[in-house]
Amino acid sequence: MSAFFDAWHYDGKNAVRRKVEVQIIGRQFFLLETEQRHGPFAFSDVEYVTRKDDADVYGLKAADGWRLMLSGPVPSDLSAMLPARRNYGGWVDRLGFGKAAVAFTLASAAAVAIVLLSPQWLAPLIPDSVDEKLGDALVGDFGGRFCSTPAGDAALKKLVASLDANPDDLQVEVAKIDMVNAVALPGGKVILFDGLVKQARSPDEVAGVLAHEIGHVREKHVMQALLRQMGLAVVLGGIDGNSGALVNNMLSMSYSRESEAEADAHSMKALGGANISPIGTASFFDRLSKMDGSANSGTSDNDIAGYMSSHPLSRSRKDAFEKSIVKGKNYKPALTPAEWTELKTMCTQDRNAKSGFGFDFN
Amino acid sequence: MNDDLSHRHSAFRFYGSWLEFARIAFPNLLLTIVTLGIYRFWATTREREYLWSKTEFIDERLEWTGKGIELFVGFVMAFLLIGLPLIVIQLISQGLIFRGEAILAGVITLMMFLLLFYLTGVAYFRALRYRLSRTYWRGIRGGSDDPGLQYGLAYMWKSVVGWLPIFLGVPWSMISLWNDRWNAMSFGPHRFSATAEWKPLMKRYLLFYLVPFLLFMGAVVFGISMAASGGTSDALGSTGIAIGAIFAIIAVLSLYIFLPLAALAYYSKYFRLAVGGLRLHNLEFDFRARAPDWILFFLANMAIVICTLGIGYIFMPYRNWKFFIDHMEAYGEINIDDLTQSETVVAKHGEGLLDAFDVGAI
Repeated sequence: MSAFFDAWHYDGKNAVRRKVEVQIIGRQFFLLETEQRHGPFAFSDVEYVTRKDDADVYGLKAADGWRLMLSGPVPSDLSAMLPARRNYGGWVDRLGFGKAAVAFTLASAAAVAIVLLSPQWLAPLIPDSVDEKLGDALVGDFGGRFCSTPAGDAALKKLVASLDANPDDLQVEVAKIDMVNAVALPGGKVILFDGLVKQARSPDEVAGVLAHEIGHVREKHVMQALLRQMGLAVVLGGIDGNSGALVNNMLSMSYSRESEAEADAHSMKALGGANISPIGTASFFDRLSKMDGSANSGTSDNDIAGYMSSHPLSRSRKDAFEKSIVKGKNYKPALTPAEWTELKTMCTQDRNAKSGFGFDFN
Repeated sequence: MNDDLSHRHSAFRFYGSWLEFARIAFPNLLLTIVTLGIYRFWATTREREYLWSKTEFIDERLEWTGKGIELFVGFVMAFLLIGLPLIVIQLISQGLIFRGEAILAGVITLMMFLLLFYLTGVAYFRALRYRLSRTYWRGIRGGSDDPGLQYGLAYMWKSVVGWLPIFLGVPWSMISLWNDRWNAMSFGPHRFSATAEWKPLMKRYLLFYLVPFLLFMGAVVFGISMAASGGTSDALGSTGIAIGAIFAIIAVLSLYIFLPLAALAYYSKYFRLAVGGLRLHNLEFDFRARAPDWILFFLANMAIVICTLGIGYIFMPYRNWKFFIDHMEAYGEINIDDLTQSETVVAKHGEGLLDAFDVGAI
């Protein structure tokens, strides 16, 4: 069977435009010019290229630049042999726009949900040895900034032992850095900055903060946050630049608020178990809230500032710690006055510890 | 045929309509959102297919044959080969700072910066190569056999040499790099020749360069003359301060207005010179947009984006392409028998590097 149909053709070898007739013979076709016959070509090699003005443009597999351009009504015996037009791209065209949009939405929601929720289940599955190696790789000896004196170490050890049942998997250190801060890192590492210890008015305050950081370690928050960050980076990697980073930050921020609240709860429980009064920690947050201004705002968590920051507002944390005070309970100080002095002056006494942070070469 | 005056002599014509483009851009936006950005590679491809197919050169439309999957694979490769190692290196260097190895961390960060600098150059080159290799006219495409690795080095040293003499060498480095890029490209059997000169660009560059100084000088002169004409009484002194304040505001505003205008005036001249120095066999090119055209174009773009609360942003590819084609000119002749197929290699992946660094082509 053969049929004829007018078309334009480029052979891809040079730029000459050829007016041809398509002659169909079974599953193959020839292109007939006035004095030349091109082909045979197999219909199975024909690919859809693009729509150009009023013409559909077809190419041929492995023939660079070969083009067949058909315009006007194409006879059914020819169009039946040609590949379908491409509009949105393979998947969307097969499903249809509406269905594809719904399917993509569901798949995206599922991917985000998995990334956000799975770290909670995955983090405990990661072996402690990996956690430890990661911690060592990140911190090492902290550039020699850890302070150590026999009496100070003993005081710190006593504090940790009173707050946690398995103090041996923890590595708590005081670093000679003049900042009011403390961090929990992979591998059970907790670092108290000397600035925090120095400004504390009682060992109970330090105990509360330390118990909070131990809470991060015990709840595997660090590994969770790492996994979540990596997952979000992959899932949101498709979104370009700023909007992706914004979504990423908002999501991880809400999770970090949750973690902070969990760590606070852990801290209150540990303080209760050790018979240490939470009032010291409450007064620590009270002083912090005067610094961050939340003392005057008069509102709690509904405040926008509180919502956007990674830590709950100091004021609401102060209130929570105050509420956890059990009236009539016979609280004991976390350390004896002598131990407390040793801990507080540990970094001043230890002349071998390097001070400062970052680029400083004393 | 559309043969109005402004188009009468141009070999390039654009037949697109923004309403047609909207029917592509809006579904693209929706699909991009529901796929967390992954569809944007296919979205870009669909937009280019449309824009190219509505662009006529002499007597035939252009064809875009790039595929969404190519851009996607390019992006994934850039992510795996550059993104992930960068994250790891950043972690390592943070760990090194923690350990006090600040010098080593600094060296690693510097190496990372140099590598990114190099790859940015390579990315510019490969984006142009990719676009030419996917653009067909009468079944013939462009391309380059140069992988752009040398260009990456040239990009580094020429940029640095341009910055060294207090940024006065920037016009030289921009023009010189444009020439390097285009001299490596070809279309069909013919190689592009780019011989743009940088010296004619200096006057415009100095205008842009000197705007802050001129404004400052103007302010000083104005201030002195005001002071000289002003009396010594307190009343006049306070009006003098008021006038001074108003003038300071005007000075800041004019910095925000004149500096972008001067930048556009410079870029307009740069693009005119760069395209004007381009040749392909017997064809010469010209870009007719002058500074006022660019300024109007950018003001209109800003107005569109602002008035539509940002949605108008999706029309920017349309507006950019239309502006580009409307002002492109070509002179000379083409022998279509001699315009044979390009023998350059066709890379299978798209603008991954470029995408990763978010830089524009051409």
